Amino acid sequence: MARVVITGVGVVSAAVSGDSAALGAFLAAPFAPAAGALGAGAVAALVDPGESRRLSRVCQFTIAAARLALRESGLDPAAGLGLVVGTEFGDLASTHAFADGFLARGPGGLSALLFPNTVMNTMVATTAIAVGARELALTLNAPTVAGELAVARATAAVASGRVPAVLAGGVDELDPVVEHELKRFGLDAERRAEGAAFLVLEPRVAAEARGAPVLGEISAAAWRALPARPWGVGRTCRAPAIEAVLEAAGARAADLGWIYASGSCDEARDRWEEQVLGAALGSAAPVSTLGRLLGRHAGLGVLRVAAGAWTARSGLLPATDGAARVERVRPGRGLVHGLARGGTHVALVVDAA
Amino acid sequence: MKQVVVTGLGAVSPYGAGVAEFWKGLAGGACAIRDLTLIETDGFRCRLAAEVPEPLGGSARRTRADRLAIAAAGEALADAGLGARDCAAAALVVGAVGGGMLEAEAWYWRTARAGTRPASLSALRAVLPSAHAETLGSRFGLGGPRHTVVTACSSGAVALAEASELIAAGVVDVALAGGVDAITRICFMGFNALKLLDPAPCRPFDRERRGMSIGEGAGFMVLETEARARARGARVYATLAGHGMTTDAFHVTAPEPEGDGMVRAMRAALVGGGITPAEVQYANAHGTGTPQNDRIEARALARVFGEGGLLVSSSKSMIGHTMAAAGSLEAIATVLALGHDLVPPTANLATPDPDVPFDCVPRTARATRLRCAISNSFGFGGQNVTLLFRRSVA
Repeated sequence: MARVVITGVGVVSAAVSGDSAALGAFLAAPFAPAAGALGAGAVAALVDPGESRRLSRVCQFTIAAARLALRESGLDPAAGLGLVVGTEFGDLASTHAFADGFLARGPGGLSALLFPNTVMNTMVATTAIAVGARELALTLNAPTVAGELAVARATAAVASGRVPAVLAGGVDELDPVVEHELKRFGLDAERRAEGAAFLVLEPRVAAEARGAPVLGEISAAAWRALPARPWGVGRTCRAPAIEAVLEAAGARAADLGWIYASGSCDEARDRWEEQVLGAALGSAAPVSTLGRLLGRHAGLGVLRVAAGAWTARSGLLPATDGAARVERVRPGRGLVHGLARGGTHVALVVDAA
Repeated sequence: MKQVVVTGLGAVSPYGAGVAEFWKGLAGGACAIRDLTLIETDGFRCRLAAEVPEPLGGSARRTRADRLAIAAAGEALADAGLGARDCAAAALVVGAVGGGMLEAEAWYWRTARAGTRPASLSALRAVLPSAHAETLGSRFGLGGPRHTVVTACSSGAVALAEASELIAAGVVDVALAGGVDAITRICFMGFNALKLLDPAPCRPFDRERRGMSIGEGAGFMVLETEARARARGARVYATLAGHGMTTDAFHVTAPEPEGDGMVRAMRAALVGGGITPAEVQYANAHGTGTPQNDRIEARALARVFGEGGLLVSSSKSMIGHTMAAAGSLEAIATVLALGHDLVPPTANLATPDPDVPFDCVPRTARATRLRCAISNSFGFGGQNVTLLFRRSVA
């Protein structure tokens, strides 16, 4: 199996947009933006006028972040590029607009242009065209952990030699109907946001051969399912994904200098994750989440992997409570962890370059 | 890499519940495309679809798609003889598009028309495609890797390919994988808006074809390592010998005109399986019945297998395009064709298109010796998948 490294980072969010340097600068002096929504024109410099006119907002986020990651990596997609994108809601805004056209005007109100956007792979389809990704292309749908799941799946594809390189990312857009309904049912404790984040993953040997920037290494990735009812939190504290990545990375719990968890202010889910992490790893490593800082969206799981590479290099970890401070931790190897309602469980061991 | 074999099949199709009904309908060339009753069709050019007939089974509190998925997945697990201990370590990969959209639409429609918001947290929770995997995982105690893939009309085939990769890589020894979709208003209205639906039952590969017919269903397979299957004495339907997954990167709704992405998917499947084109006797085509898809798919097949190099047929002529379930139901059809040495026909095919240089098995199934067969699935966004199956050797 090939060693998999990160050679590019692209982020588009309300708090930070740019490459790994921009993300590092933000993480070193973090702040929580007042709103999780991206401002108008936030990605204007990264999409051309035709894309801006034709494509939905969430597709533009995706393309913008993908281009940032590719630019930093310097990778030529023509050499063979896969694309794996995690999303929780897809292009729900287009789905509403499509349905609203019918509800307002009947069959004559339907837009043939909007319909393809109602399928959740629309971000992958448009981004594959924009960047020229012609290999494996997947959209993964999961609540809470879609981003880190996409990175884990992409890591496996690169490690096995399935594809020469993969753009792995996550994207979501705030949707007024979803926000309204979550609030109506009292499920609005989480800080929610929107944006996209991408990593370029490739074999270490290939990256070094072309002189690419090596920003970090994903030593192991795994995903499993813990017993839970749909949308529910479980009781089990077994952590098969953590066990799998520690074994694959040849690591022990004590080797981990830091942990990025998927805490999101969903109290029941957060408590379950704490129990799972505690049972598997004890309390040896300091834990951070970026949920309070950046708000939950599928790009956040990808950002946590990019942040993990930054922490592995710098020995700095942002505070969990969303405050503007960082603490010093042991640089080097750490864990990125995700646990969703419903039981999807993801773990990645991330190391410095 | 480990050999991956098929040891369990489960289907809920427009013929009804069960693999036996599914095969009986296909082998008999029965067209299940009829007047659409699930949703309102007033004002639309096409009013047909292939619905799954009642009774669906399962709790009416679940979404229609979840009920289809539970029935098909349960049949596949039982067929493979997997117990709770097997399931605890099994992977689950689900291909889905609509999720619980049919029920969410009903809620959204009521909200828009009545001006009130009825309480429906369940509609909100079940709307995502990933809801099916959560339901199946919980219902059957599947504790291995779990993920939901959305690649539009190729989702079900991608799920099988993904599960195969997990097994071949040694991550798991056994997996449940497949696709599911129920008919939704959005899907029906969208394909009508694109003018891709034939007002009559679809006629893939016919010179007069005018578009597709939509359908619904669920198809699941149990895949496992050949060594594990042999050790436990399981019935082996076929070997999933290879697969290819590529992307056109060309257009969101139109396939690349030369079929390059399709060709790369088919060739990758053959290379992965160590099979030459001459060893493949049958292609279960994507075969939607749209003028463009069928012409380009035929061109791609000819580039890989040579004109007339194999028999080609479209299951969609009988069960419609079942969206995320299409790839997995058609994979099941392909496996059953291998097992029965019988190629299901292309129904409604009266006047073969001269631009399709293949025997497309019009209207009547064809008995012939089969060793290897492929199943093609292509989705919006140029998401191409080919699955290559090889006859099981006892």
